[in-house]
Amino acid sequence: MAGSGTAHMRNTVDSVLTVRDLTVEFRVAKDKIVKAVSGLSFDVVRGETLAIVGESGCGKTTLARAVLQLPPPNAGEVVLNGTDLTLLPKENLRSARTSMQMIFQDPISSLDPRMTVHQLIDEPLEIWDRGNRAERDERINKLLQSVGLEPELVLNRRSYEFSGGQCQRISIARALALDPRMLICDEPVSALDVSIQAQILNLLLHMKETFGLTMVFISHDLAVVKAISTRVMVMYLGKICEVAPPDVLYAKPAHHYTRALLNSVPIPDPTKQIRTELLQGEPPSPMNPPSGCRFRTRCVGASALCAEQEPQLREVSPGQFVACHHPIV
Amino acid sequence: MSSLLSVKNMTVNFDTPRGSLEAVRNVDIEIPAGTSVGIVGESGSGKTVMCRAAMGLLQGSTVSRTGTVVFDGHELTAMTKEQVRELFGSGMAMIFQDPLTALNPVRRIGVQLSEGLRIRLGMSKSDAMARSKELLELVRIPNAAAVLKSFPYQLSGGMRQRVMIAIAIACNPKLLFADEPTTALDVTVQAQILQLLRELREDLKMSMVLVTHDLGVVAGNTDYVAVMYAGEVVEYAPTAKLFADMRMPYTEALLNSIPRVDHKPGTALTVIAGRLPDPTNRPSGCGFAPRCKYVQEKCHKEHPNLKTDPDGHVYRCWFPIGEAL
Amino acid sequence: MLKFKELSKPTQLCVLWIGLMLFLAVFGSFLPFEHWTFVYEDDLGVTPFSPGHILGTDNNGYDLLTSAIAGTRMSIFIAITAVGLGGLIGSALGITAAFVRGKVDLVLSTAFNVGLAIPNLVLALALVSVLASNVDMTVVVPIWRRVMVLIISLTIVLIPILGRIARGATLTWSGREFVTAARSMGMRDSQIIKKHIVPNVLPALIAVAFLAIGVVIIAEASLSLLGVGIPDGGSWGGMIARGRNDLEYSPHVLYIPVIFLAITVVSTNQIGEVLRNKLDGREAKV
Ligand SMILES: Nc1ncnc2c1ncn2[C@@H]1O[C@H](COP(=O)(O)OP(=O)(O)OP(=O)(O)O)[C@@H](O)[C@H]1O
Ligand SMILES: Nc1ncnc2c1ncn2[C@@H]1O[C@H](COP(=O)(O)OP(=O)(O)O)[C@@H](O)[C@H]1O
Ligand code: SF4
Ligand code: SF4
Ligand SMILES: [Mg+2]
Ligand SMILES: [Mg+2]
Repeated sequence: MAGSGTAHMRNTVDSVLTVRDLTVEFRVAKDKIVKAVSGLSFDVVRGETLAIVGESGCGKTTLARAVLQLPPPNAGEVVLNGTDLTLLPKENLRSARTSMQMIFQDPISSLDPRMTVHQLIDEPLEIWDRGNRAERDERINKLLQSVGLEPELVLNRRSYEFSGGQCQRISIARALALDPRMLICDEPVSALDVSIQAQILNLLLHMKETFGLTMVFISHDLAVVKAISTRVMVMYLGKICEVAPPDVLYAKPAHHYTRALLNSVPIPDPTKQIRTELLQGEPPSPMNPPSGCRFRTRCVGASALCAEQEPQLREVSPGQFVACHHPIV
Repeated sequence: MSSLLSVKNMTVNFDTPRGSLEAVRNVDIEIPAGTSVGIVGESGSGKTVMCRAAMGLLQGSTVSRTGTVVFDGHELTAMTKEQVRELFGSGMAMIFQDPLTALNPVRRIGVQLSEGLRIRLGMSKSDAMARSKELLELVRIPNAAAVLKSFPYQLSGGMRQRVMIAIAIACNPKLLFADEPTTALDVTVQAQILQLLRELREDLKMSMVLVTHDLGVVAGNTDYVAVMYAGEVVEYAPTAKLFADMRMPYTEALLNSIPRVDHKPGTALTVIAGRLPDPTNRPSGCGFAPRCKYVQEKCHKEHPNLKTDPDGHVYRCWFPIGEAL
Repeated sequence: MLKFKELSKPTQLCVLWIGLMLFLAVFGSFLPFEHWTFVYEDDLGVTPFSPGHILGTDNNGYDLLTSAIAGTRMSIFIAITAVGLGGLIGSALGITAAFVRGKVDLVLSTAFNVGLAIPNLVLALALVSVLASNVDMTVVVPIWRRVMVLIISLTIVLIPILGRIARGATLTWSGREFVTAARSMGMRDSQIIKKHIVPNVLPALIAVAFLAIGVVIIAEASLSLLGVGIPDGGSWGGMIARGRNDLEYSPHVLYIPVIFLAITVVSTNQIGEVLRNKLDGREAKV
């Protein structure tokens, strides 16, 4: 939409995470409110990897943090394994959070530079008193090995001695320390080289299998999520544009924004360059989003209706939901 | 075709506490006039050092450079620092990976842009401001007048990169070095910036060196590609030729590790396992040997020579792809 | 961390000097000298390098070496205590302000700014007057009481200086993603402050504390000169105050405490500066 709606919600008993009408706003000045996430709903079913894709500033990070209640959203519910986190008292929230962990975009700044790798991974175990010293040490070694790091070589070093890719491995080991059911990855590979990106993506896929994780994977690049997602949600200015399984979404995107995003991914083949329908300009300010469809100011298919009415999510092909008055057919 | 920039046998060493670090080794590169040349390689392969050394931007007692660099008929390696500096702006210019740190955070865009014009071209204050506005319009910044008055932090990453490009092209350089100009940006903004660079190159008859770690960026934006690995150029060819007939195992591995929208979903990415060799302690054989799927005995022992196919395709491998053993 | 051998020569001298001052402050009274108040009736106002009085005596017959040692003890004690207390309270307030944000921050940073707006000396003078005002002028004020008043005043002067530094550093560090990461792991705020904020803020504070020691030593001397500090030569400031009267005939009586004071202040500043540069380098790396 970018629009609203709940047609894409599956409401099954298998939902690990259900987010309803989530709204996050930041007051930046007396009468200026940034509408970062506006009434957004989605659910994540056990074992699936939901990819959330959109341009920088469209509210992806804000959404991820609101799910973790860091800070809590202004409105809406976040139901994790049947419990609404927004209603939990602080102390219960602390323990509820452990079943949902996050990997951050900036691999280096998300690790305390003063702490050694051993301390970093021990920290969550220590907070929650998981086992005695020897048990914890063994767990730390196992975790490091599982993310492809040699414990003896890394345990006593600090984050700034590592490359971005290695820091991201450490972050993954750390996030998995408490055996979470759900992992939220906020652009975990955007700051990395292409070749390292592939390593981390494959590692996450592997971890997902081994630890039986349910994942939310955020990215600005549709290509990055293609290999690992089971469902893709495209968002723009705090709202949802399209939700679909990847084989449908990449083959026949129904939303104009999805197609524009696809066209902007560079293709490493000089004979397959797409130069048409590139997105022009930048998204409008989230302080003052356009009326009707929020994408209309940059949409090639916009009509008068788009300015008046907000499109609602509807199913255009099995499993493909789109919020657009004039979807691409 | 005449070369605008020609780098011959350039080696760059840094003196570090751990010993001498050979960041660039025996590099030969030709930038034909009017073309765009991509430099591709993973992080730490020496792309930035190569460009900066070619421009004569590496200074200090810990750096040493050998080899020759000829730019537009001037032998830079034989010129004084002052003479080389004269060439900056109108001869060659550079844009950087991180447009936020390259701009002074406490000065308005207009001041930063016009300052260079006043110093280098001796323009008056009002002329320089007017030209600054034109430059911002040239890099397709909407509402240029307002942007002139803003501070860098008030602009988005894409806008900042446009401003950097405006500063770089202010004196109509013949050659633009773009060091990972889009790595810090979104794919959508990346597509816009690359489009802008293509158009500017056309309009200003400018050559470009485009540094990136992404073969996808190179494919649609360059005429030639040089692939760097561990400080060396390991493959060099016209872009179409390189993709159609890849010779170097490293280039192939790099290509296969890119997630692509034009492949089926769920296609597994092939990972290049391992890392670059330690630059202070380069192996005697092929630096890619521990990671190469075509590796043979010989690769570990002998450093491969640069080979040139009859069609000018250059590579550094004992057992190039497409050649029977 | 910093190695003595890697420091520049002048910095090494500064470290050695501070070491000597600390030694004198701690062990000065165990040295085999007469008490500094012992009066050498036969040696009034002798110049430095006289036999038996390496730094000379003043016109009352006090030996200046033992006086200077006693002064060192007092000045260093006051400086370290005031900076220690000021640092403790200031950083507690600063860290709280930055971490809690909102109204608490508003109140505390306004208070810091008000404190910073008043010149150090004026504030200290005002505080000393207020805190010492209930003292009956006719009763001799015990020296410990004067010292206490001085320390409390100087501590109050330091709180906004160190508090604001702590607040600024906390703001930057608590914005880092690893703090969010810790929270997402279920860490309590108090634990986050203890394990992630304080250790990262501390180095910056220590660097500034060295600079603050210089400020305090000078403030103490100025107060003594104004007659509200330590009386009768018990500290460097007191010695300067007393030496002022002898300037014409025995200038060394004034110069000796001034030299001690100046070298000490230069040294703490230098060390603070080196620590800060080192830190900036480290922060650039992380
Ligand atoms: N000033 C310096 N002193 C010592 N070593 C350096 C210096 N600058 C670069 N190096 C080293 O030279 C090698 C090449 O670095 P360079 O920055 O050119 O890599 P790059 O290919 O541009 O990588 P990236 O994709 O990360 O920008 C690296 O091993 C790097 O650590
Ligand atoms: N703490 C904040 N205060 C004010 N605005 C914010 C804050 N955090 C995020 N925003 C704004 O909210 C919008 C969404 O931001 P974000 O979630 O970080 O986007 P993304 O992760 O998709 O790049 C942006 O316009 C951003 O500037
Ligand atoms: S066609 Fe209308 S509703 Fe659909 S994306 Fe474009 S502007 Fe929005
Ligand atoms: S020389 Fe050998 S190891 Fe090196 S790239 Fe060629 S085949 Fe691989
Ligand atoms: Mg983000
Ligand atoms: Mg570089």
